[in-house]
Amino acid sequence: MDKIQKILVVDDERLNINLLVELLKPSYKMMAAINGQQAIKAANSNSPPDLILLDIMMPEMDGYEVCKQLKNDPKTKDIPIIFVTAMGQEESEAKGLDLGAADYLTKPISPAIVEARVKTQLALKQRHEELKSAYKIIEEQKKRMQNELDVGREIQLAMVPSIFPASHMYNIYASLEPAREVGGDFYDVFNIDEEHVCFCVGDVSGKGVPAALFMAMAKTLIKSRASNDPSTASIVTHVNDELSQDNEGCLFVTLFVCILNTLTGKVLTTNAGHNPPILRRANGVIELLKRLDGPVVAAIEGFAYKEGFVQLNKGDSLLLFTDGVTEADTAHGEFYGDPRLVSLFENTENRSPKQMVEQILSDVHEFEGQGRQADDITVMVLDYLGEMQSEQDKTISFQVTNALNEIEKVVDLFDEFATNNKVNQKVKSTISMALDDLLTNVVSYAYNDEQQHKIGVRISVVESSIVVVITDDGMPFNPFQMENPNTKASIEERDMGGLGIHLVKKMFDHVAYHRNIEKNVVTLVKQFTAK
Amino acid sequence: MSMETKKEQGVFVISPIGRLDTNTSPDAERLIVEAIDSGEKNVVMDYTSTEYISSAGLRVVLKTAKLLKPKGGVIVVCNGNEQITEVFEISGFSGMVASFNSLEEAVSSLN
Repeated sequence: MDKIQKILVVDDERLNINLLVELLKPSYKMMAAINGQQAIKAANSNSPPDLILLDIMMPEMDGYEVCKQLKNDPKTKDIPIIFVTAMGQEESEAKGLDLGAADYLTKPISPAIVEARVKTQLALKQRHEELKSAYKIIEEQKKRMQNELDVGREIQLAMVPSIFPASHMYNIYASLEPAREVGGDFYDVFNIDEEHVCFCVGDVSGKGVPAALFMAMAKTLIKSRASNDPSTASIVTHVNDELSQDNEGCLFVTLFVCILNTLTGKVLTTNAGHNPPILRRANGVIELLKRLDGPVVAAIEGFAYKEGFVQLNKGDSLLLFTDGVTEADTAHGEFYGDPRLVSLFENTENRSPKQMVEQILSDVHEFEGQGRQADDITVMVLDYLGEMQSEQDKTISFQVTNALNEIEKVVDLFDEFATNNKVNQKVKSTISMALDDLLTNVVSYAYNDEQQHKIGVRISVVESSIVVVITDDGMPFNPFQMENPNTKASIEERDMGGLGIHLVKKMFDHVAYHRNIEKNVVTLVKQFTAK
Repeated sequence: MSMETKKEQGVFVISPIGRLDTNTSPDAERLIVEAIDSGEKNVVMDYTSTEYISSAGLRVVLKTAKLLKPKGGVIVVCNGNEQITEVFEISGFSGMVASFNSLEEAVSSLN
């Protein structure tokens, strides 16, 4: 104890005061009061005592009254009080202790006992104050941690997509519900190219900002690697190597990564320590994808993960989820479990992936009871809609190189496709024009190197529309953001800038641009009536 | 794809066969520039056999109009299909270049 502690002696007899003051003066700073009022005033001063030695028998306000008042005042209630009583007043001692006194001394006082009792009480008070400040620090820490968890949750929710790619071949939906204390769940769905879509679900160990940042890293690594790596085994092996380095927090992540070939229904899968997804065949048969391709990611650097594949056929449905679903529990400690999930997934017909996901989430919540969610819950459902043979006839997909004379080839291929699908002359001419204008722009402006590049073209008939998708790996450029040309200018003022894009925008029912993993993707939709 | 050129009642007529786009427009442009250089004052572009036109095809029309204007000449077009008609309307070219439903009307507008 660095600070010299202060003791207040309260007694109406000067002699008694002097006795105690002389005794304790060498070790403590002494104060004195000769009646109750003075004592209360001293206790309330800016420099209050750390301990009070209080005489009981005093005129006007006795020691009990002083004690009562001090203990009732929040400002003074924590100052320990030792009563000083005459011999043979055991009843008074009991009364004093009831009023909140810490201890008592009997007169005539023994110096050794006074010193011992005073020392004990002051030490106790010291511990009490330390506890109080420790508690305050804990409260502040708790508040800081809550803020950190909130930041973690924001990062987490901002990282997962809420808009999903779709085509006539598949439909996918996913949802993530963070727990009160954020876990590290995530999912992702993105197109790799015209034919392949990558989707994954993961669960990072740990909570708060570190888990959220780890999750962001995992997700980004998967997406960038998937852009030019067709193997889920290779993607996960790469992500594992990257995340294992400098992993001081010893975090890890369970992962289930899939790449679906939308045309053939073949799905490549790699399971890194994740709970097995559930596959429901079109005929209702349930299969658990129990295959495991390696340990959790970020645990063993250099591990070579494996991959498997699953053939999806028309009407098959795949359910990916995190253990927050099956380990959801009730107040009585019962788990939601796989069987309940399987029976929900198996018995539901004629529903979209979105409806299935929402149904599972509401069933889990109903099971747990209100406000009990302990872990993040992630659910993803993919329905494979593809009718391979007939759809293939209605789609052409090919690549050309970045040369202007390649455009002729594209228009030739489209001509044949349009004839086979009985596309009327006007729509056919309009699409030919769009192919010529958009591909000319790509070839002329998208690349600033001398390299050869591939440009993807995919044309499909979907119901009564033709959908054209052009993909290039040139610099990011959204053609539809260009300013419209001035179509009212005179011959002299008129220039050609932006005219081709303007025609495409005006002559199609729908145009869209998005940047998808180092690629520009332009989509055009034109309604048509067969000849 | 090819271009046919002829003189109709003394007026230079060019007819793109098939596509008038990035790959074929340079031919049309070359033939028109040659004709203007050899003294043609007006040009008719006849789309009777043209499948479609892209902005590259419009560029030839604009360039021709700009070359002829100082000489007091014009370019007119005729026989465009639905797509070509729509392109001329959306691009505003229909306000710059006269369009006719037959070659006869186009040629006689210049005589």
